Amino acid sequence: MRFQAFMFYGCGVFFLITDIVYWYFSGEWTGTTAMALSVGLAFMIGAYLHFTINRVERLRGVELPEDDKLGEIADSAGDQGFYSPHSWWPLWVGLSAATLCLGMIFGAWLMLLGGALLILTSIGFVFEYYRGQYVA
Amino acid sequence: MAATACDAEEWKRVGFPEPSSEQAHRMLTLWQGTWIAAGAVGVVVLALIIWAVLFHRKRKGQEGLPKQVRYNLPVEMLYTAVPFVIIGVLFFYTARDQSYVEDLKDNPDVTVDVIGYQWSWQFDYIGDQFKKADGTPVSIVGTPTAPDAPGGTGNGEKPVLVLPVNKTVHFNLKSDNVIHSFWVPAFLYKKDVMPGFENQFQLKPTKTGTYEGRCAELCGVDHTRMLFQVKVVTQGEFDAYIAEQKGGGAQ
Amino acid sequence: MTAISEQPAAIAGGQRTSKGRLVVNWITSTDHKVIGYLYIITSFSFFLIGGVMALVMRAELFAPGQDYVSNEQFNQLFTMHGTIMLLMFATPLFAGFANVIMPLQIGSPDVAFPRMNMLAYWFYLFGSLIVVAAFFTPDGAASFGWFAYAPLSDSVRSPGIGGDMWVVGLTLSGLGTILGAVNFITTIIGMRAPGMTMFRLPIFVWNVLLTSLLVLLAFPVLAAALLALYADRKFGAHVFDASHGGAILWQHLFWFFGHPEVYILALPFFGIVTEILPVFSRKPIFGYIGLVGATITIAGLSITVWAHHMYVTGQVLLPFFSFMTFLIAVPTGVKYFNWIGTIWRGHLTFETPMLFSLGFLVTFLFGGLTGVILASPPLDFQLSDSYFVVAHFHYVVFGTVVFAMFAGFYFWWPKWTGKMLNETWGKIHFWTLFVGFHMTFLVQHWLGAEGMPRRYADYSAEFTGLNQLSTVGSFLLGASMLPFFYNVYITWRKGKKVEVDDPWGYGCSLEWATSCPPPRHNFTSIPKIRSERPAFDLHHAAEAARAAELAGVDLAAIEGGSEKKGGH
Repeated sequence: MRFQAFMFYGCGVFFLITDIVYWYFSGEWTGTTAMALSVGLAFMIGAYLHFTINRVERLRGVELPEDDKLGEIADSAGDQGFYSPHSWWPLWVGLSAATLCLGMIFGAWLMLLGGALLILTSIGFVFEYYRGQYVA
Repeated sequence: MAATACDAEEWKRVGFPEPSSEQAHRMLTLWQGTWIAAGAVGVVVLALIIWAVLFHRKRKGQEGLPKQVRYNLPVEMLYTAVPFVIIGVLFFYTARDQSYVEDLKDNPDVTVDVIGYQWSWQFDYIGDQFKKADGTPVSIVGTPTAPDAPGGTGNGEKPVLVLPVNKTVHFNLKSDNVIHSFWVPAFLYKKDVMPGFENQFQLKPTKTGTYEGRCAELCGVDHTRMLFQVKVVTQGEFDAYIAEQKGGGAQ
Repeated sequence: MTAISEQPAAIAGGQRTSKGRLVVNWITSTDHKVIGYLYIITSFSFFLIGGVMALVMRAELFAPGQDYVSNEQFNQLFTMHGTIMLLMFATPLFAGFANVIMPLQIGSPDVAFPRMNMLAYWFYLFGSLIVVAAFFTPDGAASFGWFAYAPLSDSVRSPGIGGDMWVVGLTLSGLGTILGAVNFITTIIGMRAPGMTMFRLPIFVWNVLLTSLLVLLAFPVLAAALLALYADRKFGAHVFDASHGGAILWQHLFWFFGHPEVYILALPFFGIVTEILPVFSRKPIFGYIGLVGATITIAGLSITVWAHHMYVTGQVLLPFFSFMTFLIAVPTGVKYFNWIGTIWRGHLTFETPMLFSLGFLVTFLFGGLTGVILASPPLDFQLSDSYFVVAHFHYVVFGTVVFAMFAGFYFWWPKWTGKMLNETWGKIHFWTLFVGFHMTFLVQHWLGAEGMPRRYADYSAEFTGLNQLSTVGSFLLGASMLPFFYNVYITWRKGKKVEVDDPWGYGCSLEWATSCPPPRHNFTSIPKIRSERPAFDLHHAAEAARAAELAGVDLAAIEGGSEKKGGH
């Protein structure tokens, strides 16, 4: 079942046709550019899904259980992947980003502080499960 | 401000003011026609909903499940196709009327520059016949006013744009600050007064009288007070008015 | 570290937790349900704040003359009312419902990116607080209208710091919205339970998917426009300088975001209603495939109609935009007939969620019809920027968001809290809200058609009567929140515990196949998914078998639910 991908392709084709018609009759650049970007986005997501589904199915040899009309719940039994039980990092990243934003309003020093904090907390966020007890 | 119009007439206009220009009559007809179509669709859909609510409710002691209908292809095709017809008709009249309303004729009888600023209006009559002795055009400059202020030239009075009846008037809309919008409800028409380029439109007033005008695009603190009036008079009165304005300028 | 196996253990109940522990649990949570509740609680709080602002404005407009607020304060109020209601209430409310409900409906243990989910919430919260905090600055909040038309929004015409806070805060909260959308798309594409094919997804999930797609298309444009506006305001850039067409450039960019935004608000709430109607009609959705197609069509078309907000600028291609806008009426009509087909010949009962859903059908119908009228440029020339438009979009947005929100609250309250809201108070709530809403906004159509512009703090005497009616209605509307709060309170204090998975009896989607409230990772077991209503098939096995038999196939071999022939 490739409907996920084809839906995005379909939107992309529709935007493309509409964009050409719009550009032809209006010659207006803002909307034409914005719609062209929409075409790109739709095709990008569609193509990514298309190739990913193809690749995963080739690896598994059968249709993905969630696309299988006769899929059994047990088909996806086993490890469901890793779920973070709880985390402080989103809050820290959020607060740093807010500091950066306040800096954009009130002054460069706060902006620099916020930017530095944002870099540090983002590193913490990304590597939370690649440090300490989590390193196998 | 058709205060004398009777109730039935008002209902027929579905809330629109009495149209006071040739173009406005066309728009009123489209408005009435669209409401008939929209009203018919609305009544049908509402009737279906109410019917189901009244007659398809679960009755006391009713057991089991209703028929589990999942689709009905002919019905689905019907209700997909019919709206195309409706919007096709609507679009036909829309396209026809909008090119009529937006049409610009070559030799308008009167040309007016409308200049919007924060927060009032300036009206300049353009053309040789409106030039004062010193070469400047006849010009009306307004100030911000209260909603029910009278028209006039004094401070706190609405600026009045005087136009001759049954003559094509060409408007150039200009602003060098923020966006305003020139709206005279009785003409059933507004157009934005944009900085950076000049908008234009034409209309032909068909009825003498004084009509309220308002700025319709948020333009800052005193947006509410950016009001004006349009006074449509006979050609004779118009000529007299212009002569008087010219005289005022020559002193 | 927990690796989730097929049957995750429910979190230990009955454990005593201190208040501090509870706060820490919530602010560090990565559970999609908790994050969803945070979204819902926060956005509902903003709804109340925005609502109070609306009441202040309606009080000011009760009579001509200046009564309670100055013109500048009035401008700040409607600017912030619009900003709050659209970007701090309705959009995050979508994220809230999608977070809590969507993973349950697709049989997933959580969303794809739980930590990013929480990050998106913080971005939304902090961004919104920055915008609203502008009220406490000396010059007050932004006052250039929620669509911030250049050049009014530049640093010369709106020099206050409130404008900067508006621009920057919305950029941050918009970033959160984008992250949320990425998360939802990934979850729906990649984390469905086995057998949950795309054409067995509940309609709500479909709508979350398409809404997220629209977010990805629209919000980056807003972010770009806001940052350019920031550069204009702070560094004297000339992106939106009117002398080279900046005024119209802003409008194009803003509405390229702004129109899809309207559908970002509407689609998820259409989805909620589509979940509720079948349950209280005891029937499946009528024309599932057509409904999905209509929703995709609406999403696609919504990208191509932005400039119908700009008819009166005189700078847009009128026939193109009016035609595309008219086209939206077709899929919207299809949806209506799907909804009517669903309740048609059902066994309808009128519990509160159903009442709110029917209230939505009636209200949105009128908003949709006035939308078709506004799509016609010759009519829009009179109606644009008037109270007619105000009435129209309140019918559309309030009709979908608020009616469907309360429908969803009453419907899923037992799933979220384990207790049913009180039916009597629910009905009182519905009727006061319904009457109050229509009294407030119906008359505004007349005001606008007759010539009252929007965003006026004062008006001439001819408009007094209708304005007074509208103000009285708005206070009734405001008062309709009281029965709701009382209902929540008594339910909290002495509501009966729900012991079954599906208290409504005819629930369709998977959330009704797990406990109320669900365990940490949602399911202890998932039923076999063979149609778009697995929970219904589970609880009404006889009917599922009968439908399969009528269709002449073995139950195990049933094709997608939508292809299964029904009763005839």
